[in-house]
Parts: sequence; structure tokens; C-alpha cells
Amino acid sequence: MGVIHGEEMVLNIGPQHPSTHGVLRLKVKTDGEIISEITPVIGYLHRCFEKHCENMTYDQVIPYTDRCDYLAAMANNFGYVVAVEELMELKVPEKVEYIRVIMAEFQRIASHLLALGVYGLDIGAFTPFLFMLRDRERILDMFEMTCGARLLYNYMWIGGVSHDLPKGFVETAFQFLDYFEPQIEEYNELLTYNKIFIERTADIGVLPPDVAISYGVSGPNLRASGVKWDLRRNAPYSIYNKFEFDVCIGEGGKGTLGDCWDRYYVRMLEVKESVKILRQALAQIPKEGDVHQALPKKIRPPKGSIYSRTETPRGDLGFYIVSDGSPIPTRVKMRSPAFTALSVLGELAGGWMMSDVISILGSLDIVLGEIDR
Amino acid sequence: MSPDQEKLIAELVEKGLSGDMDPINAIEDRVLRSKAKSALAKAKRASKAEAASAPVEEKSTEENDTDTTPSDHPNQKFGKMIHNKFPNSLDAELNDTHIQLKPDDWFEIASWLKSEPSLHFDSLQCHTGMDVGENMLEARYNLHSMTHDHKIEIRIAVSRDKANIPSIEQIWRIGDWFERETYDMFGIFFDGHRDHRRMLLPEDWEGYPLRKDYVVQETYHGIIIPKVKEGWE
Repeated sequence: MGVIHGEEMVLNIGPQHPSTHGVLRLKVKTDGEIISEITPVIGYLHRCFEKHCENMTYDQVIPYTDRCDYLAAMANNFGYVVAVEELMELKVPEKVEYIRVIMAEFQRIASHLLALGVYGLDIGAFTPFLFMLRDRERILDMFEMTCGARLLYNYMWIGGVSHDLPKGFVETAFQFLDYFEPQIEEYNELLTYNKIFIERTADIGVLPPDVAISYGVSGPNLRASGVKWDLRRNAPYSIYNKFEFDVCIGEGGKGTLGDCWDRYYVRMLEVKESVKILRQALAQIPKEGDVHQALPKKIRPPKGSIYSRTETPRGDLGFYIVSDGSPIPTRVKMRSPAFTALSVLGELAGGWMMSDVISILGSLDIVLGEIDR
Repeated sequence: MSPDQEKLIAELVEKGLSGDMDPINAIEDRVLRSKAKSALAKAKRASKAEAASAPVEEKSTEENDTDTTPSDHPNQKFGKMIHNKFPNSLDAELNDTHIQLKPDDWFEIASWLKSEPSLHFDSLQCHTGMDVGENMLEARYNLHSMTHDHKIEIRIAVSRDKANIPSIEQIWRIGDWFERETYDMFGIFFDGHRDHRRMLLPEDWEGYPLRKDYVVQETYHGIIIPKVKEGWE
């Protein structure tokens, strides 16, 4: 008998596969059940966002930012308008800032709920997914109440927002928060401390902090590796410096620091913090004020460039905008947090089992619309 | 084209050059409007070529709205440190908005920026390309330090004929994908990149879409690519 040579097998996951969270293709080289190399292939959703921006006025770009990260469209609007306002040195009324923060935090809860629910679904837990989607629906209802849209809002405009908060919004929001806070405990009982779930996620796909920073990983994924970095706290934009909240970091609660369970749990903790911010913002929001007051007649930022970042549910969203003084941007570059998070997958997944790839990919919480732009 | 139309277009182009785009946008005939726009673009290009001092002009305006006197701005402070460590690496005067470097020593400078304890730029926040005209392309890097919380912007200009910049993919690992995207969109080559392929477009796509003079190829594997957008502009 000679030596048996194990043969390497190349396996394609996707582009159409429910576990890839969109149209992503993973070229996986496997040695039996063990992954030896994994290469993400992206570009299936490339819609030339950046080229389109060079042919549109500044305000026409906003609906396109919706369609980049379609699960957190408010946060994308927010990031873009903050960048343009910074370039124009435009000051927006306090009421608008409050409305924006309220919307952004509701969006964070909605986005995290979907991320956590779908993550459970990836692992094989169906019920938490339904529970979380049920509650996300109520947030979408509130968005619909405000601006008429449920998914792609075009709500934040340069210098303001499209509609004032409708009558009864604050009461509805408080009612929702009162209902929602006890639900978090229910999610924890259902999924977070579930034995099978912990077995599938703890100690899997460990991301050390220095590797995470080198790969530009940001947001909850970076915080799960124990790095206390949140733009809302470390480089506050809008009025985030007015609110009390904690920056949640991973602690290796069920295994190693920076594993899949940590990345999951940091999101769960962040939902609680968002509720905290929302309670403060809803209580403090000024009653009077015109949300259209600061809308500029002509949007012509001065010559120059800006790189501005905001904290979206997925991490640091950066907009690099170059203006030549005309109403049309010369260049808009979107530095998407999911793009950098996916780039680390090759490093993260090597050496793990085939079934772990799904739990590692799910824990990164990527949105392909934002990666391909 | 009739002489009447030519005359009309010439008038509109003049108005457009002085910054008034409204008359052109008000033309109802779509064909005529696009003709006027292309004539305007041509005239703009010609006027740019005439003024050979265009880049200098640009710089002077940038310096005007910032302060020319030495300031404590990170771009000035760290620019000076780079200059002391690597003489002859600066490509232009220091200013508040960015540090303009020559491509030659970029890899050494980048590894020094990351390893020097007082700088410690451990995070490459954003990297992108830019078509700055005049046959020049630019790569721009936004660096940030998590430990010291300071940031700088570095720009490296190269000519289109020799668009080569050393790759920093091994210093900041995210540079891998960022550089692939810049190569994909602008055709800037990154020497020393270990996986130099296109990122978002297919490998056999022609041209670099984010260059300002990009023309879409007519067919791709037998699929006709529509050129004129119908109904809106």
C-alpha cells in the first residue's frame, strides 16, 4: 500500500446562496472538511455608485446612498449629509439633529435585530429570527409613519430632514421602547445562552485586535475584539456628545476574546445602549422648530475635499468628497465598513471547518449592497 | 447641423463657460442639449490646456482658504517629520489639507509611519484614486492612529503613462482590497501587490471607469451595452 494523497477540492459557495447574505461568491479550497484557503469574489451587485455621483447634484446622491446599505439606509443618509454639511460648514437646527439621532438609533436597533436574527437562522435557530423580525417591523412602521417609506427613506436632506416628526411619534416611540426592553431578555434566553448556539459560535473565528485594525475592521466587529472605539464617543458628530451611553466591548464571555459569540453579543449589548440614547433624545427633543429652515437654496460646497466618518450599525462609514465649487461633486468615495469586514474573512476562516465558515461570515454582518456599491 | 443651431450652441457654450448652466439645461430637444453639453466640455478642456498654470492655480486657491503660515495642523506637523526623515520625498509645499509625496519612497515612508512610536498610524482609513486632469492620476490615503487619535491625508500623483505606485498592502492589510479597487477603477498599478487583480469588475473589462475620459465599451461578450440613458439625465 502506498501513501494516500488527500486531494484538495475547490468548492464554490454562492453567488446565490442564502447563507452568503446576498450575492457573494466564496471560492473555498478544502482539505477534507478543513478550509485551507478562502477567497471572496465580489462585484455582482456593482451599480457604479461612485460614477453616478459624478453626474448628479449633491442632493440627488442621497437616494443612492439608501441603496448601498439597504438594511441601514438612515445611517447611510446620515453619513453622507454629515460629510456634505461639514464641507459646506453648514449648521443645522438643534431639532433636526435630535430627529437624526433618533432615526439613526432606531435604525441601529432594526439593523442589529435583523443581523442577530439572521445569524441565528444561519446557525439553525428559526424561532428567534421570527421574534426579532416581528419587533423590527414595529420600527419600520414608525419610519413609515415619519416619511412614508419602510426600507429606502431618502429622509435626511442636506441641512435638514424631509418631514417633521408626525403627531404622536414621541408617544409611539416611548410605547415601543417600553415594550421592547423586556424583549431583549427574551432574545437572550432564546438564543444568546442557548447551549447549541454557544457550541457553534464560542472560540470560533477569533479575530485579534491588531489584525482587526490592520484590516480596517470597525464597528461592533472591532469592539468585539476588545478595542474600545466608537465614533459616537471618540469623535462625536452631530449631538452624540449630549447623551450618556456605554461603549460595549467583547470580553470573551463564552470563550476567547474576539470570537463569533463576542461579535454576536456586542450587537445585543449595543441594542440596549441604543434604547438608552433613544430615551434621552426623545425626552429632550425641542418641541418647536422648522426642519426645513436651514435647507440651502443652492448646494455648492467650496473648493476642497473632506473625509468624514460616522458610526453606522456596521462600523465606520466614511465619505471622501472632492468639490470643485460646482453643484456636482467631482468625486465621491464611499468607504464602506462591510467591505473592510469582508476582506478579513480570508484571514479569519482559514483552518476552520466547513460549517464554521457560515458562522464566521454571519458574525461579520455584511451587506453586499454596500460592499459592491 | 444647421448654422442656426451652431450659432445657438456657441452662445450657450459662452454662457456655460461663465458658469451659467441654466440656458443649456433649459433646451427641450435632447439631441441639441447633449450637443451643446459636449461642445461645452470641449471648450472647457481647451481652455484648461491653454492655461498651463492650472494646477498652480488650484493649489493657490487651496492655500488661500487655509493659512499659509506654518500651523500646528497634523498635515503640516507630520509632513515636516517626513521631510526630516526622508529628504526629497515631498512633491509640493506643505499645507493644511494634505501631504503631497513622490511615489519613489512611499513604501519606506509608509512602514515608518506605522512603526514610529510617536506616529503609530496603525489604521488606513480610506484609500482612493482621483483623476486630477492634465494627464495625471492621484492616489489618496487617509491615515489614522488609534493610539494617538491623529490623522493625516497623503496624496501621490503619477502620470497616466507611468502610473506605478509602490504597494502598501503588506503594511496595512486592508490596502490589499483598497488598492485592487483603485487599480480597477483608475488603472493605477501597485508594484509589489501580491494579488493584483480587478476587484469589482470582471477581469476582461476594458478601460478604467472612474477616469474622467472613460468611454464604455460597446459590447461585452456579445451583450450590447446601452449608452444613452433614456428619459432622464
